[in-house]
Amino acid sequence: MSQLTLAQALNGALDTALSGDERVLLLGEDVGRAGGVFRITDGLREKYGPDRVYDTPVAESGIAGAAFGMAVAGMRPVAEIQFMGFSYPAYDQIVNHIARIRNRSSHRFTAPLVIRIPYGGGIGAAEHHSESMEAVYVHVPGLKVVVPSTPRDAKGLLLAAINDPDPVVFLEPIRLYRAVKEDVPEGAYEIEIGPVRVERSGTDLTLISWGAMMKETRQAASQLEAVGVSVEVLDVRTLSPLDRSGMAESVSKTGRAVVVHEAPLTGGLAGEIAASIQERCLYDLKAPVSRVTGWDTVFPLKLSEGHYLPSAERIVNAARKVLEE
Amino acid sequence: MLSFVRPDGTTADDLPIEVEVVRDLYARMVEARTYDDKSMAMQRQGRLATYAPFRGQEAAQIGAASALAEGDWVAATYRDAALNWSVGYPWRLLIAGRRGHEIGGRLPDGVNVLPPSITVGGHMIHAVGLAWAEALKGTGRIALTSFGDGATSEGDFHEAMNFAAVYQTPIVFFCQNNGYAISYPVEEQTRSETIAAKADAYGMPGVRVDGNDVVATLLVTARAVERARSGEGPSLIEAVTYRLGPHTTADDPARYRDRDEAEEWEERDPLLRIRLLLERAGLWTSEWQQELEERASSAIEEAVSWAEALPPPTFDEMLERVYARPTEALREQLEAGR
Amino acid sequence: MAREFLLPDIGEGLTEADIVQWLVAEGETVEADQPIVEVETDKAVVEIPSPWAGTVLSHGAAEGDTLEVGSVLVVIGDESEMEASAPAAPTREAPPIVGSLSEEAEDLGMPPPQRERTPSGAKALPLVRKMARELGIDLDEIAGSGPDGRITREDVEAAAAAEPEITLSTVWDDETAPVAPPATPDLTSVEKPAKERAAPATREDRRTPMTRVRRTIAANMSRSWSEIPHVTTFDDVDATRLLEVRSALADRHGIKIPMEALVVKAVLPGLEAHPEFNATVDGDHLIYRGRRDIGIAVDTPEGLMVAVVANADRLGVLELASEIARLGAGARGRTLTPDELSGQTFTVTNIGAVGGGHGTPIVPPGTTAILSVGRAQDKPIVFGNDLAIAPVMPLSLSYDHRVIDGATGRRFMALVIENLTEPALFLAN
Repeated sequence: MSQLTLAQALNGALDTALSGDERVLLLGEDVGRAGGVFRITDGLREKYGPDRVYDTPVAESGIAGAAFGMAVAGMRPVAEIQFMGFSYPAYDQIVNHIARIRNRSSHRFTAPLVIRIPYGGGIGAAEHHSESMEAVYVHVPGLKVVVPSTPRDAKGLLLAAINDPDPVVFLEPIRLYRAVKEDVPEGAYEIEIGPVRVERSGTDLTLISWGAMMKETRQAASQLEAVGVSVEVLDVRTLSPLDRSGMAESVSKTGRAVVVHEAPLTGGLAGEIAASIQERCLYDLKAPVSRVTGWDTVFPLKLSEGHYLPSAERIVNAARKVLEE
Repeated sequence: MLSFVRPDGTTADDLPIEVEVVRDLYARMVEARTYDDKSMAMQRQGRLATYAPFRGQEAAQIGAASALAEGDWVAATYRDAALNWSVGYPWRLLIAGRRGHEIGGRLPDGVNVLPPSITVGGHMIHAVGLAWAEALKGTGRIALTSFGDGATSEGDFHEAMNFAAVYQTPIVFFCQNNGYAISYPVEEQTRSETIAAKADAYGMPGVRVDGNDVVATLLVTARAVERARSGEGPSLIEAVTYRLGPHTTADDPARYRDRDEAEEWEERDPLLRIRLLLERAGLWTSEWQQELEERASSAIEEAVSWAEALPPPTFDEMLERVYARPTEALREQLEAGR
Repeated sequence: MAREFLLPDIGEGLTEADIVQWLVAEGETVEADQPIVEVETDKAVVEIPSPWAGTVLSHGAAEGDTLEVGSVLVVIGDESEMEASAPAAPTREAPPIVGSLSEEAEDLGMPPPQRERTPSGAKALPLVRKMARELGIDLDEIAGSGPDGRITREDVEAAAAAEPEITLSTVWDDETAPVAPPATPDLTSVEKPAKERAAPATREDRRTPMTRVRRTIAANMSRSWSEIPHVTTFDDVDATRLLEVRSALADRHGIKIPMEALVVKAVLPGLEAHPEFNATVDGDHLIYRGRRDIGIAVDTPEGLMVAVVANADRLGVLELASEIARLGAGARGRTLTPDELSGQTFTVTNIGAVGGGHGTPIVPPGTTAILSVGRAQDKPIVFGNDLAIAPVMPLSLSYDHRVIDGATGRRFMALVIENLTEPALFLAN
């Protein structure tokens, strides 16, 4: 065990995977010499050589498509796209080929690969560097979508993603890369892709979130606990497949839910989660399921980020309304 | 443009390959054309979904395929049935696929052909990845990707060519320039003198060959395959050919090209010139031709019967193909939809 | 045999085609795949080949006519059939694979949705509507005290308290006791939802007879408790592997595996090794029972019932799973036969489903022991020299101390624990 940031835990996961399985290789823009724009692959090219860790031309579709071919031919590529806004040139490859080859070939060919994409705002970056468009990947059958919010989960989930038989889009919350440290086990361990993590148990209200917004969600939970509300906090962790029954289990106990995400409201995942909750436990609901999300706007530039990102205060206010029912 | 067998069946030089090989290439072109004709007829009878015929392109496809070894990868298009069949994709699966049965994409084990790409151009980079992986594994296998002139306008063409050259992956880019991207003539698609010329910019050799000449196509592809296999990197081949039929069964070429043009190309028919060559050498008789056609026809009819007798795909299979194991949501949908 | 060839959709979503020219006249013969007609669609002029060889008996339309997709294009058959002016009932070809969807309305065989007597304007959450339905309260007849006149749970409870007789007769059958209204947090204060609602000002004691089920439970419990000197031993088991195996089995077979199915499997070897756990005390005799009929405690709205898995030792885990599911549903639906509700030789009760931990289960009459399993929860455990987090499942074993000594009880428990810790041990059986 050692105290690591989420960024260090991811680096450790990649290190573990590269050393444990020679089929694993990394590719992406600046992942080699520079160690990645967020230094997640720092030191790995030196350690494993240029035939395991590839710097690539600036070509996201090429990166995804080449990773696809490698995976079909038996490798376990881990590709990095630098920012979510840059992943759309690769979208055709991800949606039309990576997610579908199992279906297209009736299981003869598969693409067990991981595409790592740093996502989310709060770092005052340039346009296209801050978005949280997880829903566009969750909507694609054949893909899995994973978002860790803690260093320990980050390593275990990334190792599980690399070993998964299906392609995984692995979203990394930029804002949390270096925000917290946690004891992270040495060596290989996996955290199952799928189940939500009950981060805190409670009986009055369920707060549901993932990735970077877990930070504000935790703050809100602490504030509510301070005034005597018993809050259950779920870190969804896997956005596809969604742990519908895990969420319903909690909400049928508490009867109240607030879903929090950074992405815009309309067409966002909170809608799917709310629908799933009412399908499973409408008659246990003591209040309508509430959503606290980003606004239906383009993710703003630095000076307007404060307007955009959901705050702990907004979550507490939503919780208050729900508790009033 | 490299060529060997002229449209009248005469050759520029002595045959550089065994005549038996030429006879075999011819027999396979006859079988491929039988499949193509049958597919067009079946589509008109409502027995196949949309079909993209390759009539006129048999030499390019069978010539290129014949340069490959067992285990080499092929990533091709919806118009490449002859190429795919030549490297082991069974007719019955091709027909099942065109009938709308997913089993058509389930290649037999050991046949390293990707199910046809329907989007244009995305598959070229797949072949780069496949070749890259084989190089890393040191298997000696290479990849060939086949695409049309239209696909060279896609950004993916650039990314695939560039990646292949940068990483020197063992791959052959095989472009069938059949003159049109559906209706848009190749002269208007690019200002490059030829498609082969584009290879220069990427730092790989580009060769233009008469794609209606199966012998020349085979020889040129064999050279590119040899380069790839021996670690000399990628090559681009432009096989100049012509799509005698429509883009697909939902298309009418009379709207955008002259009948004269097609008739001119009929004279350069890839089967005709080999027949004339063999006839000149005393190796073609009408009895042999009849025998070939009968054999081809019975092979195709057998495949059609197999495909038409397939039980329809089940609802469960549809949901069980998405992931290695169905997710919770899919398991619930399996229950709900049964 | 005459066959009709229907005009297929030959161009991705076309609905009709014009007949340009017949290439084979009526009465002429045609080969399979020979072009028979030239048609013009919105997209192209194309020749359509015949799907069969034979004689063209009739054209479905004349040159210049427009034909809809799916109508008869041509009838093909034997030359002899030409004599008949119209072929009798020709065989239709199979519909083309690119077909069309029927737009005809179907009788869905369902009654129209039940509407409320009056299109009421009552506003209430589903939870409150459900509560009102159960208590027989008409929402239209009470005023809502919530925001915008919304009817709250308190409103419904107050209405129910005001007319208790109606509530009883509507919800419970004659021999069923009423239950106290569900405890609900008082939410008038947002800061601190109270865990229990204050009792209404006037609530009187009520006396009602026990239900038959409840009386049976009571009699059995008293008999066991007074006759059997109980000893209960508590333990915990690391359920990591058990839960993995359970979810792997569930995933592989796509069914739910009740925890009881695995526990029964883990217990059976214990019953073999220590037959006094599968026995009946009869006066001065101990009867070692030959069968392994395992009782499974089922929580039903009427009370606790024990459903019996007959010959559990002959069933695999999957069979146990489906049998336990069947018995559970049957017990709750009250469709089980008396045989299925009595005569067990050992009993398993899973209180984990309702969140239970350790307990002191009571040995059912006619048996010598009962095992209770609680809910597996993540807890720190010592693992070698390290502390680790693992799902820990509480076990409580009660047995008849007249015939089972403490040491034997421990040995039985140790075997069960060993099996639950590594399910491979019992799955191999």
